[in-house]
Amino acid sequence: MLLLALNSTAQNPVVRDQFSADPTARVFNGKVYLYPSHDIVPPQGARQDWFCMEDYHVFSSENLTDWKDHGVIVTQNKVPWVRLDSYSMWAPDCVEKNGKYYFYFPSAPQAGGGFAVGVAIADSPEGPFVPEPEPIKGINGIDPCVLQASDGNAYIFWGNGRCAKLKPNMKELADDNPKETVKWGEREFEMTGVNCLKDLPNRQAEGPFAFEYNGNYYLTYPYVREKTEVIGYAMSKNPMGPYEYKGIIMAEHANGCWTNHHSIVNYKGQWYFFYHHNDFSPSDDKRRSVCIEKLTFNADGTIQEIKPTMRGVGINKATEKIEIDRYSSASANVTTELIDTINTFRSYQATLPTKGSWLRYNDVDFSVLNNSYVIISAKASDNTELYIREKAPNGKVIGKAKMTVKPETPQGAGQAPSMFRREMTNQWLTLTVPLEYTPKGVTDLVITNEGNGSASVDWVQFKNRPKYFSPVTTPSAQPDDEGFIRRWMLLEPIDKPNRGNTVFTDTYLREHFNMEYFKGQQTIVPKDGQKVKVSFQREEVPAGFGRGPQQQEPAKPVIKTVNQTLTWHALDSENMNVKLFRFAEKWGQQVYGVLFWAVTIIDCDEDIEDVRLAVGSNSASMWWLNGEEVLLLSGDRRMVKDDAMSPRLTLKKGRNILRGAIINGPGMSDFCVRFIDEKGNPVKNYSIKAQ
Amino acid sequence: MKTKYLIGLSIIISNLSFSSVKAQSGAPYIHDPSTLAECDGKWYTFGTGGGGIISADGWNWNSGADRPGGGAAPDMLKIGDRYLCIYGATGGGLGGGHAGRILTMWNKTLDPKSPDFKWSEAVEVCFSDGMEDQDAIDPGLLLDPTTGRLWASYGTYFGTIRLIELDPKTGFRVKGNKEKDIAIDCEATDLIYRDGWYYLLGTHGTCCDGVNSTYNIVVGRSRKVTGPYLDNVGRDMYHGGGKMVIAAGDRVCGPGHFGRTIIDEGVEIMSCHYEADFDQGGSSVLGIRPLLWKNDWPYAGDRFKEGTYEIESERRGYSLELAVDFVRLNVPRRGGFGRPANDTPVVPVANQKLEDVISTWPSGEIPARIGDYMFRPHQKWTITAVPEAGGYLSNPYFKITIEGTNRALSATANTEVTTVPEFTGADEQLWRIEQLIDGTFRIMPKAIPGRQGINTKYCLYSIGDSTPTLAEYDFKSDNSKWNFRAH
Repeated sequence: MLLLALNSTAQNPVVRDQFSADPTARVFNGKVYLYPSHDIVPPQGARQDWFCMEDYHVFSSENLTDWKDHGVIVTQNKVPWVRLDSYSMWAPDCVEKNGKYYFYFPSAPQAGGGFAVGVAIADSPEGPFVPEPEPIKGINGIDPCVLQASDGNAYIFWGNGRCAKLKPNMKELADDNPKETVKWGEREFEMTGVNCLKDLPNRQAEGPFAFEYNGNYYLTYPYVREKTEVIGYAMSKNPMGPYEYKGIIMAEHANGCWTNHHSIVNYKGQWYFFYHHNDFSPSDDKRRSVCIEKLTFNADGTIQEIKPTMRGVGINKATEKIEIDRYSSASANVTTELIDTINTFRSYQATLPTKGSWLRYNDVDFSVLNNSYVIISAKASDNTELYIREKAPNGKVIGKAKMTVKPETPQGAGQAPSMFRREMTNQWLTLTVPLEYTPKGVTDLVITNEGNGSASVDWVQFKNRPKYFSPVTTPSAQPDDEGFIRRWMLLEPIDKPNRGNTVFTDTYLREHFNMEYFKGQQTIVPKDGQKVKVSFQREEVPAGFGRGPQQQEPAKPVIKTVNQTLTWHALDSENMNVKLFRFAEKWGQQVYGVLFWAVTIIDCDEDIEDVRLAVGSNSASMWWLNGEEVLLLSGDRRMVKDDAMSPRLTLKKGRNILRGAIINGPGMSDFCVRFIDEKGNPVKNYSIKAQ
Repeated sequence: MKTKYLIGLSIIISNLSFSSVKAQSGAPYIHDPSTLAECDGKWYTFGTGGGGIISADGWNWNSGADRPGGGAAPDMLKIGDRYLCIYGATGGGLGGGHAGRILTMWNKTLDPKSPDFKWSEAVEVCFSDGMEDQDAIDPGLLLDPTTGRLWASYGTYFGTIRLIELDPKTGFRVKGNKEKDIAIDCEATDLIYRDGWYYLLGTHGTCCDGVNSTYNIVVGRSRKVTGPYLDNVGRDMYHGGGKMVIAAGDRVCGPGHFGRTIIDEGVEIMSCHYEADFDQGGSSVLGIRPLLWKNDWPYAGDRFKEGTYEIESERRGYSLELAVDFVRLNVPRRGGFGRPANDTPVVPVANQKLEDVISTWPSGEIPARIGDYMFRPHQKWTITAVPEAGGYLSNPYFKITIEGTNRALSATANTEVTTVPEFTGADEQLWRIEQLIDGTFRIMPKAIPGRQGINTKYCLYSIGDSTPTLAEYDFKSDNSKWNFRAH
């Protein structure tokens, strides 16, 4: 589990595959490190209605949107002083000094008596952390926070606001700390340090977080103002106070989640407020999740109150999975709820109940898009349509997601068999949407419901289409490492539906590859952009391939004359296999029921004898070298590397013309071609030209 | 004596109709069967379009299994005390385009009549968006026995075969898991693990064209579950590589959708469907074949063919025979040590016939023995299916009789073997014949007199080179293994 590395993105909560609470965020080596405590569902035998924490994970991020889980760094039963299976690994902190990382954590000591605070030390913020054998002497309490003050000292805060100076070794309290006697009921205790919250609003205060900014020390802390915790803060000119109460940073959680716990960090010039909320455990506020908001100071050093948001912080790349249910704003009738109240980590959905409902998700970076489409995860109660827009509910339409969830009445033979035509009401669907418009730069994403069904959305993700071909820009190319020829002149597909039988016979192929589609078809060495006029008599046949019941010969063949003007394209394939299907998709009228012609020029410095042309193609294909037929791939073909071989051939010194014709089959038409020598090794000592 | 001759004749006539039994009996109609799953002593497999078939004995299959969700090509795997079903909710181009979805769901039982029978809400674990070189249907599951991690492969020849990781506790996708392309040109893939190798089995060719379907199953292997999966000439399945596991033959064509079931150590079967069984009007039916291994490559064995065989021990190579007197053939020795006398013509020597020797055999029980094979009547065994006796995953039960007679091999109450003069159909005279992964066979009586239930433990066993018995099957011992040789 130590090597576990998972990513999650932006949006609150930021950790979405486990609970996380009491976040302390620190900046080390240019990255934000997040040290939360780790709520778990209590195992059998442990108290079921209480906090339960057995270990700590650390997470890191460079942009506050992608969080990487580095796994467990400290676990209860491997800390010598911690009571076995006490599940009390509460709010931690971590600071760096002289290249060492000091991880402070409270837990229940074997010796008994409430809580103690221990230290574990590492050479890296990700660990491995080695716990000290004993807890820090003089601290009885929870929630350590270490302030490295500009006066050169480190101060540790804990519990309900107590503060003491640390020795330079960071592992012990300094000897010159004040001491005081505290009375709890009838009992008296000697406490080290000072209680910085003594005369401030401090009811049930805990989780102190202290930091220094602009000559002020801030002591921020949760306490109970009325019934549950708020985060308040106080300021001072000295680390150990006295502090003056200034107000609230975050009010009570609206849903009654009793605790809050926080930290404040500056990253790349922006202040951030980390806190927690029980998003994934709405009925049990002891299982919490870390959230982030921006924090702003007023000119006088006071802090503006922060409202929790679902959106959180950070800019999402459009190509990330964006949880749009964590929107920044929405029309009044939009609601959010957990997708699954048992498996809560399936996260949330936002429901746009009526026509005109909308939600906005701010700060999406579209500059990463190139030849894209968008996927939206959504469900609907009835047929409807969702628009993805830029910026505003009436903004420019990026794409339209039609949600036809009611099964349609079948029409004609081409319809899907009934087993695939299903009622999809209220089922999560991933819909692929072509883009009508691609926004530039960083802007807001808006979803609007344009139909009458209620629709719920989970996420959107933009995807860039892969590049299959590049235009030829160099005078000559080489075979690739495995000898495959990737530079070809490809003719736009000829409209030629073939007999529906997938097993292409040699007779059929010879007849149909050798008939004339265009003038000079066996001699042309075309130029990029050159057009040819295709004209031939075609027998009308159904184009069905492989699947489905529609593969029967027509009763009476109909003869039709096909006339097409088609263009040659000089292309370099990005892959060893030349994806004719994608070529046809981009440059052709259809992707099935087609015939392709391919030509390439092979220039040799000398005769290369005893080589074989090795071809794999989907589907059947025929190949000619210097005008001679050298290979026919017939039958039911897929593109298999080195599927069929020509007899031994000679590539002659100078220019050789390799020509192929490929008929599409089931699946995606493509081919791979190379020459191999007597031992089966690729031949590569020639150059390839498109013209 | 007379009666024996009569019986002999009737059996000879029935021998004219030797055939192999090609597919399971009953109504084993299915396409894309999931890997066989066992639940409360019954076998289940689920196919495209919903539903599935059930068998109490592995041989006789009938409809009745229930899987909601429709779509194509499910797989089923027992994890802990629950069954995880994974299926493609879409149709691989049939449902309109190649935007596919794969879902998982759980059930405590596969028996639709059980009160516990309830599928959990299906959860999407991956999808293809319709724009990619991918079509998310036809998933297959592997629970890696070395790591406990759960993997699924899926896809069709519309693009790539992909690998994803699922959480074996929830059936959900492992958070953050990225799919990996591991093959092309395949459909209905399945992953298996054996002895340090991961195998990817894919269905090549074309389906759904009845008797003209060219489906066949190929394999590549890898030391890592994430590939690359290479075939026997080192070609990556990502470049179309694959070594044949099973193709058409024996009047069935279009085997597809591999599933492996381990019955016992060294006893494995593969399940698939045949696109068309020529003997069942070209229907798509469940196929079960022995799964054999050679040099760490899997391949399908043939269905056991009825016929007359030498039953040869793997232990020494002697053959099973009746413990009767050896009867010399009265043919004068020709020449001295192989050199013929000068001018006598060469006349073939006739085989010893049953009628030449049967009168020398006792009429009651005759013990079985193992001896060197001389192709004599007491060494020739006719293996005939007894369909009314049911079967097991591989085959129907067989009777094993001396050729031309009704004298049948039988288990005895003291766990030995003998022959009885008349085959009565009793369970101890019915034999389970299964091909082992090394190509040899184990032969087990359906029942042993005096012992409860169906026998799955004791097999015909060479306790000595010359002495057969019944003993616990042990794949590591050649004493458990036999060969059927047609001479």
